[in-house]
Amino acid sequence: MQILLGFVFGFLSSVGFGIVTNNPRRTLMPAGWIGAIAWVIYIVAGWYDHGVIMPNLLSAIVIGLLGNLAAILVRAPVNIFYVPCLVSLVPGAIIYDSMKNFTLGYDNLAAHGLIKALTVGLSLAIGFIIAEAISNKIYPPLKKYLEQKNR
Amino acid sequence: MDVLDEKDVVALCGQVGAVLLENGAETSRVENTVEYIGRAVNLPIVCHATMTAVFVNSEKSATTRIFKVRVGDFNLQKVDRINTLSREFSQQKLTFKELKEAVTEVEYDTSDFNLFEKCLGAGLVSVAPMLLFKATWFDLFLSFFVGILGYLVARVVGQHSKIPYIAVAMGGLSISILAHVLLDIGIASSANNIIISALMPLVPGVPMTNSLREIIEKNTISGLVRATDAIMAGISIGSGVVIGQILIKVVLGG
Repeated sequence: MQILLGFVFGFLSSVGFGIVTNNPRRTLMPAGWIGAIAWVIYIVAGWYDHGVIMPNLLSAIVIGLLGNLAAILVRAPVNIFYVPCLVSLVPGAIIYDSMKNFTLGYDNLAAHGLIKALTVGLSLAIGFIIAEAISNKIYPPLKKYLEQKNR
Repeated sequence: MDVLDEKDVVALCGQVGAVLLENGAETSRVENTVEYIGRAVNLPIVCHATMTAVFVNSEKSATTRIFKVRVGDFNLQKVDRINTLSREFSQQKLTFKELKEAVTEVEYDTSDFNLFEKCLGAGLVSVAPMLLFKATWFDLFLSFFVGILGYLVARVVGQHSKIPYIAVAMGGLSISILAHVLLDIGIASSANNIIISALMPLVPGVPMTNSLREIIEKNTISGLVRATDAIMAGISIGSGVVIGQILIKVVLGG
């Protein structure tokens, strides 16, 4: 149940942010699927690891691999897939919470939140770097094959 | 291929770089695309992009142009179209003149989803999957509409005011006021959950992650600029929400 709902809302959230950031229409659906899959991975990883690092890292790797694949298939820059898929994972709410505490004068809570936001952001970023390193090795043959097929 | 004026090429490359950067492409992609176009016309070009400016230099002579950039919201459609154009150009499907016209067209193009679709999108983002089993379903349902309102306020204020960060602050303010009003008249069960959920379209989470990606790729300056920007946006949203809370307390005495 949790996975099913996570899938549906991960999908809707990614498509929604795709619309807000004015993604080209042909990339909305792939971005939605990737966002949904990544959110399911996040939920499942969260069952086995209660920290913030592993779930984010794993979902970022999945987004990175699938995003690069979609970028080749749909022929769009890969950033177009990263941005909408990220929206549900990203530490936006944590930054907001930390800055709210900062405004209210709770410095300790603010510092804690900021470090947590940095941790989440860094694990996502490192996940992308890992995924890019892998996909740079894997995908070029596929790309070549597709180009020959199109010719 | 006909002989091209070096100045023209450099100017066009700078324009391409500026459009890409303004609409949310990473700096490494901007630099690569610009140098790619240069290579396609056999003019070695060096490009250096930071978040505030694009420098384009032709290696043959000392032609350099600097383009100031003011990074705005994401508009990934433009990034995609420029990307397609530069690919077609390097495959020689486009002439230089056609490319120039197309880039200018993209720069001033305002094609976008219509307002209804945008609102629907913002509403969908406002139902945060993060809170699915923490907030009540009815709160999430409410945050769909609160999020749309916050997004609309931020959009309208952004169109009318040039002061940076005021748009997101006003968005946070209106979301906070609405959430607390809903709580006080007894419809919602938690103002905080609604606020966090409805803020999802506004909070700077994606820029924060992009900034860390840039830092890891050793584009340290752009990374730091983006990170500062994200934190400033966070501060303004946070202050907006807090001011909203205080206002509600003063007005309703809660």
